[in-house]
Amino acid sequence: MTLLFQLLVNGLIVGALYGVVAMSFVLIYKASRIVNFAQGEFLLIGAWTCWWLLTHWQLPFWIGFPITLAFMLIFGVVLQVVVLRPMIGEPIISVIMVTIGLSIFFQAMMKWMFGVFAKPFPTIFASPTMNVFGLEVQTVYVVSLVISLLIMAGFGWFFKYSRMGLAMRATAFDQQVAQSLGISVRQMFAMSWAISAMVSAVAGVTVGVVNGVSSALSFFGIKVFPAVILGGLDSVAGAVLGGLIVGVLENLAHYLDSQWLNWGNMYEIAPFYVLIVILMIKPYGLFGTKDIERV
Amino acid sequence: MANISLIPCGDFKTRYAADTTIFPTVTSRNFAILGVLLLLTFPAFMDRYWLNLCIQIGYLGIAALGLNILVGFTGQISIGHAAFFGFGAFSSAWLSNSFGIPVALAIPLAGVMTTAVGMLFGVPAARLKGLYLAIATLAAQYILQDFFARADWFTGGTAGTIAEPFSLFGFAFDTDERYFYVVLVYMVVMYILATNLMRTRDGRALVAVRDHYLSAEIMGINLTKYRTMSFGISAFYAGIGGALYAHYLQFVSVEGFTILFSIQFLGMIIIGGLGSIMGSLMGTAFMVLLPEVMQAITNSLAGTAIDTALNLKDAIAFLREMAIGLVIILFLVFEPDGLAHRWKQIKAYWKLYPFSH
Amino acid sequence: MTIKTVLLATVAVLAFAGAANAQQKIPVGHLADQSGATSDVGVPFAQGVADALAYINKNGGVGGTQMAVETVDYGYQAPRAISQYKKWSSGSDKVAAIQGWGTADTEALTGFVGKDEIPFYSGSYSGHLTDPTGKGPHGSKPAPYNFFYGPSYSDGLRAMLTWAADDWKKKGGSGKPKYVHMGANHPYPNAPKEAGEALAKELGFDVLPAVQFALTPGDYTAQCLTLKEAGANYAYLGNTAGSNISVLKACQTVGAQVQFMGNVWGMDENAAKAAGTAANGVIFPVRTAAIWGGDAPGMKTVKEISKISDAAGTAYRPVHYVSGICSAFYMKEAMDWAQKNGGVTGPNIRKGMYQKKDWVPAGLEGVCVPSTWTETDHRGMDKVNIYRANIKGDTGASVDDLVKAGTIKLEKIATIDVPRKPEWLGW
Repeated sequence: MTLLFQLLVNGLIVGALYGVVAMSFVLIYKASRIVNFAQGEFLLIGAWTCWWLLTHWQLPFWIGFPITLAFMLIFGVVLQVVVLRPMIGEPIISVIMVTIGLSIFFQAMMKWMFGVFAKPFPTIFASPTMNVFGLEVQTVYVVSLVISLLIMAGFGWFFKYSRMGLAMRATAFDQQVAQSLGISVRQMFAMSWAISAMVSAVAGVTVGVVNGVSSALSFFGIKVFPAVILGGLDSVAGAVLGGLIVGVLENLAHYLDSQWLNWGNMYEIAPFYVLIVILMIKPYGLFGTKDIERV
Repeated sequence: MANISLIPCGDFKTRYAADTTIFPTVTSRNFAILGVLLLLTFPAFMDRYWLNLCIQIGYLGIAALGLNILVGFTGQISIGHAAFFGFGAFSSAWLSNSFGIPVALAIPLAGVMTTAVGMLFGVPAARLKGLYLAIATLAAQYILQDFFARADWFTGGTAGTIAEPFSLFGFAFDTDERYFYVVLVYMVVMYILATNLMRTRDGRALVAVRDHYLSAEIMGINLTKYRTMSFGISAFYAGIGGALYAHYLQFVSVEGFTILFSIQFLGMIIIGGLGSIMGSLMGTAFMVLLPEVMQAITNSLAGTAIDTALNLKDAIAFLREMAIGLVIILFLVFEPDGLAHRWKQIKAYWKLYPFSH
Repeated sequence: MTIKTVLLATVAVLAFAGAANAQQKIPVGHLADQSGATSDVGVPFAQGVADALAYINKNGGVGGTQMAVETVDYGYQAPRAISQYKKWSSGSDKVAAIQGWGTADTEALTGFVGKDEIPFYSGSYSGHLTDPTGKGPHGSKPAPYNFFYGPSYSDGLRAMLTWAADDWKKKGGSGKPKYVHMGANHPYPNAPKEAGEALAKELGFDVLPAVQFALTPGDYTAQCLTLKEAGANYAYLGNTAGSNISVLKACQTVGAQVQFMGNVWGMDENAAKAAGTAANGVIFPVRTAAIWGGDAPGMKTVKEISKISDAAGTAYRPVHYVSGICSAFYMKEAMDWAQKNGGVTGPNIRKGMYQKKDWVPAGLEGVCVPSTWTETDHRGMDKVNIYRANIKGDTGASVDDLVKAGTIKLEKIATIDVPRKPEWLGW
């Protein structure tokens, strides 16, 4: 029984990480309806930037991390302005292809700049693991959990009460009406990309600290798709919940698999099976807004 | 979508049947026939490297056409096309290995088997729209990949399976020169079938589903039926493409059918032009030749003055990959409607030259 | 008419010159992954092969004839490897041999290289490639032109299991030790799975159900908890370094006490640095009898070869670099024999591979392990060197400094005999 409990705890903690990545994905979709296939590369760029600041410039983590976030903010804006602004108004599938091209480009660039070998992060926390409910967990996971909770709370407040947040929601809902009310749609797009890049950096650094930074880190981006769909594409809370569900599901499936089924890879495949089942019952995910079609 | 075509003066039709011909004008038909005749002569003077590229363009083009029927003509989206391609490859190998069916029959049968699987995954498609559909197909990709890795009886598990070479009445088409003809025949047949589909009632129904499905439903077009049918047809094309791939390499392994491959198919049709039959072929040629062209450029750069000046030595491989990504991005920024559209623009320009506007 | 004649003449002259030029060099193809999914181990191996071939050319080539080596980075994308192969295997400058790389393309090209008669020295050590006639007991396809230097993945695992059985007795363990195979459900990690589990049963291990984990880094706490719960004693990590590191770190966090056994590509100095103390104690097979800086007469030659791409002589070369050198040199000596016996063509090079028993290339004594290839058995190596990775402390510095300081140490702990049993051929 304790194994099951430990797996659940681990699932929740890792699920929170998935939730963070899912959140950054949904942010872009919500604002501009673009599926960003380069999300994994954002994680990678964030991880490498933080690694570089910590090893080459010998900065302590609590200085290097905010600098990384600031850099990713600027990076998101620049990317949107340079690459995606010319694509406004084009068919959405072309824009998706552009993000795919971006992911190819950034993968290669990161390999060029930082080499092909996995590199470890320098030790950041005094004790690398913490005891959570009897399970030894990496400290960085717990720290990222705290940070993600803060981010989620921050976003909750931002989108509901701040002027900018309301403007972003308006733009996501109907661009033309928002424009007619004086909201600069282009600024909103740029900002949504900036915030998404920043949030990705948090997740990227977390994964990098645990596993070392290597180019395969970007696969986290694809892993997150089921989480995003489970929660509904345009719901930030749904994305987080979807991440948690996927995390717990993976571990539960592994438990079932190791104890009884012995198929071997339920861990990877179970989320997809569950995804299909849920989509058949609730085609818009758990929290997605239903597309009401007006004739 | 990109169907602006200028019909020259005096070319008017008096019968409905004349208006729905496969080739819009006699000239275009003659050019097409000439093109096929030219292709027939390729193996005589091209070396294996180029023949290999042409064969790749051939079977990938067939699969890309299937995806274009699904995405471009019916407005659905699928990121699981590589899995159907792989299913076709494995079923053709399985049919010819386990049941001794001659390869010439195994390839169409593999297409039929893949159609069945495609329609299975098309059933949930009726309810899902847009991105949810895309992710459902992504799930299909992973599930099928997992199936390939496990089903030893079907795929040989992770060791892969050997496929027999294509042979007709004892004449084996196992060299590049001979297999080129097999692929050519299949390509011509499949492309004509697709063009024909688009001028029939069902083809028009598919386009109606894409353009405005509510109106289509009001007019009496059964959305579920046509969406599922579209998945089935696209899977058929993917299956045939996969089967041709299997009998060319004579070895099929699960490693080759990854999500990246699915994304490449999407790239082929987006760059070629959604909703355009010729565009599928152009896009496939683009995606197949792009890495080769980049490779040739970097090979010629390696060791030259530019190389040493910028100290590129090791970075050339990465620059090549970056260049591929960059070309895709730039192409889409400047021509989001794809190669087919650009080609039509060029033709239109020359049609009215020097009075083009 | 005049222009046409001039053009024809120019073409003729160029073709003639081209042909004449081609006569003087032996074309050799080299496929490498320097930017793709396996580039972390592909880069040092490819560097070793390229440097070795350049060194051979500098020192007289193959019996006085230079080799024209073309290194192509195919990014671990099999279709590109196949197109490249088509280029190399057609026309007047057909390559004499190819130094290959990954499992995916090697398996796809097996049939083709057999038909075109081009010896293929792969970086993939799958057991399926060891059966030249295809008559082995496990129904593998014939691979008469596939060679590789090193123990096959299956033989490497067999060696480690033999060691593990001994180790359990030495540790005074009671009862049956538990063994588990860990890896992705893919050809490369799966290659030795059956063979390993069969031998483990024979040796008295309790074989637990295999655990799967993906080839990409991620969170594998669940797998480690399962290991801990099941009380596994010995676990084989079948994936490449990137994901193995994730498992090692997760298991260190969770506190799973397992003796991990890696594969040749799963652990090296760079992976040890990336994993840090989590990789302490991991054992893995090394293809060479000595690693960089080790004590062997052949190490001098290795250092000379290293100077080709590192003139200062300060770079540290991982285990894969030295193995790449051996792979290139075996090809070279086979070509030497072929040149004296009918010319450097594919079939002759292949015959050249069968000429010597317990063969060590000249100048690499003590580095390359004596290997024997025969017409019916392409298992070259029957002795496997097992090393243990010892890591103590922080691994932030460069690999070079870490090894010098002794923070990372690879020590040889055993040399295990893996007899060439006929029932193990092609498996």
